Amino acid sequence: MSWPDWIVLSVTLLGMVAYGLYKGRTSRDMDGYFLSNRTVPWYMVMLSIMGTQASAVTFLSAPGQAYTDGMRFVQYYFGLPLAMVVLCITFVPVFHRLKVYTAYEFLEQRFDLRTRTLTSFLFLLQRGLSTGISISAPSIILSSLLGWDILWTNIFMGGLLIIYTVMGGAKAVAYTQQLQLIIIFTGMGIAGYMVIHRLPSHIGLSEALHLGGKAGKLNIITTGISEKGFDWNDRYNLLSGVIGGFFLALSYFGTDQSQVGRYLTARSLSESRLGLLMNGLVKVPMQFMILLLGVLVFSFYQFNKEPVFFNQSQLDLLSKSKYKDSLVLVNRDYDAAEAERIKERSWLSIGAGRGTVAGVPSQGSDGRDLAVSRQQAEDRLHASEAKKAGYKATIRRWLNDRQVGGDDNDTNYIFLRFVLDYLPKGLIGLLIAVIFLAAWGSIAATLNSLSSCTIVDFHKRFSQKELSTEREYRLSRMYTLFWGIFCVAVAQLAYNLGNSLIEAVNVLGSMFYGVILGIFLVAFYRKKVGGVAVFTSAVLVEIAVIVLTILSRKGIVHLSFLWFNVVGAIGVVLLSEAIQWMQGTKTVGKY
Amino acid sequence: MNEDTQKDEVPLFKKWSYWYALVIGFLLLLILFFNFLTKHFS
Repeated sequence: MSWPDWIVLSVTLLGMVAYGLYKGRTSRDMDGYFLSNRTVPWYMVMLSIMGTQASAVTFLSAPGQAYTDGMRFVQYYFGLPLAMVVLCITFVPVFHRLKVYTAYEFLEQRFDLRTRTLTSFLFLLQRGLSTGISISAPSIILSSLLGWDILWTNIFMGGLLIIYTVMGGAKAVAYTQQLQLIIIFTGMGIAGYMVIHRLPSHIGLSEALHLGGKAGKLNIITTGISEKGFDWNDRYNLLSGVIGGFFLALSYFGTDQSQVGRYLTARSLSESRLGLLMNGLVKVPMQFMILLLGVLVFSFYQFNKEPVFFNQSQLDLLSKSKYKDSLVLVNRDYDAAEAERIKERSWLSIGAGRGTVAGVPSQGSDGRDLAVSRQQAEDRLHASEAKKAGYKATIRRWLNDRQVGGDDNDTNYIFLRFVLDYLPKGLIGLLIAVIFLAAWGSIAATLNSLSSCTIVDFHKRFSQKELSTEREYRLSRMYTLFWGIFCVAVAQLAYNLGNSLIEAVNVLGSMFYGVILGIFLVAFYRKKVGGVAVFTSAVLVEIAVIVLTILSRKGIVHLSFLWFNVVGAIGVVLLSEAIQWMQGTKTVGKY
Repeated sequence: MNEDTQKDEVPLFKKWSYWYALVIGFLLLLILFFNFLTKHFS
């Protein structure tokens, strides 16, 4: 990075810490620290919800995902607006009425202490670990691309935000998330403009989309149905997005304290509802735009040389391995194939565009019929694309060699590689800052919620001593600091976790989310089911989901991770009903 | 509970159900739009 990039990055990050400290001044009690004294307006609730959900991985991986697999990933979010509606009808009014600090407090009132403690523990376990992965994911990418030390990158990624989160609590989190999202959207918007600006002069947005569409990248809606019927192992399609995504979103926004803690800060029930519903309106278009950026980057590389592998550090690894001589040859042949591909692509694109390409004839220069020339150019293009795919496959095969021990997935590196290679000085620093800020927004909210659960669901609940308001406040800050250090430590440990980090986070979530949602669904909708039945069924179904996850990873069961949420939630509801039926009917009071 | 009910004023519309219909309707429109884009650019 150049010195203007370092200046932009440093000023943005340090400015954010200062802004968090300035805005985070609040009353020295738990109401102020965890709930901002319930004073937050709906638009800040919406931004806080969005900032908590959108981690650095969202902005790093999603464009790469669209680049490689197309835009069908957007279907993953189709269940979210539906979940927002159910939350506003059922969950949010109850949480507001009971004036709880954590979602799990409600479970003790509805069932018993055991169920509350189990659910809160599952949250702490899952969130603590997944936040560590959320720190390590962007850190590994940045340290690989920029040659930064992984420990220091982890410390800056997960450490600086601890300062304002510990000092200012939920209020600092909400205000910084608001500013962070403004900077993030500005940065991503400029990046989008720059991609289009750097396309050849005769290629506009429409032509770029046609290029992406022709390559199957605009596969926004997919059914998952083939000649063999519905593919349950297909990750992203309309059905899994609406149903699986609904259960995942309902569980995440309704039972995950990192989200519940955001809308509990609203100044009224009405503002909580409005914040959630507006999130339901804007989330899918926002994700669509981020993915569209990936398609535009794909179109850009149709006219520019694409790296043989986007993660340079892995190529460096190969250049020190037994494949170093072969790598030189592959690089040379790959460059030749790319030059041929770009030449043919440029020639062919003239017909679709309005201008001409410098140095490329607009019709057959040897006098042949244009249609014949086009066909021949298309044949040459396909041949060079096949060669390119072959060289890329070779690189991946070498990286998979046990002696090399490389990572053959470069999806997460695509967007940032483009940023580093093609964006001007200063803007690179801003885009790197965007990655940091996206991580901070999500991690800060999580630390605040981990701390609230630790003190409310465990320390205060099990402590024999009465705590003073000042002592509670100090303990809350101490627990925030503890979880911050814990998550950075997990990030450092997760350094070798490797492939497809976005899915690692989601799979981990899906192992617990379904069961936690099932407990809450029983609490809200099955009023005759008591604590023993729901606790027993939750433990049994959680074991079943973990076994199912292991079998799925080993390829014995063919079920995509999004369906685990459905299995977990419905499993708990049905099993607890059955256990309650065996125990005899129980009637519970109103909550 | 009464305090919350008093503060639960519905902005823009008469009932929250209209907001819910708006969110679900917008999602359906988006899916239709995405389906059009998928077919148009494939």
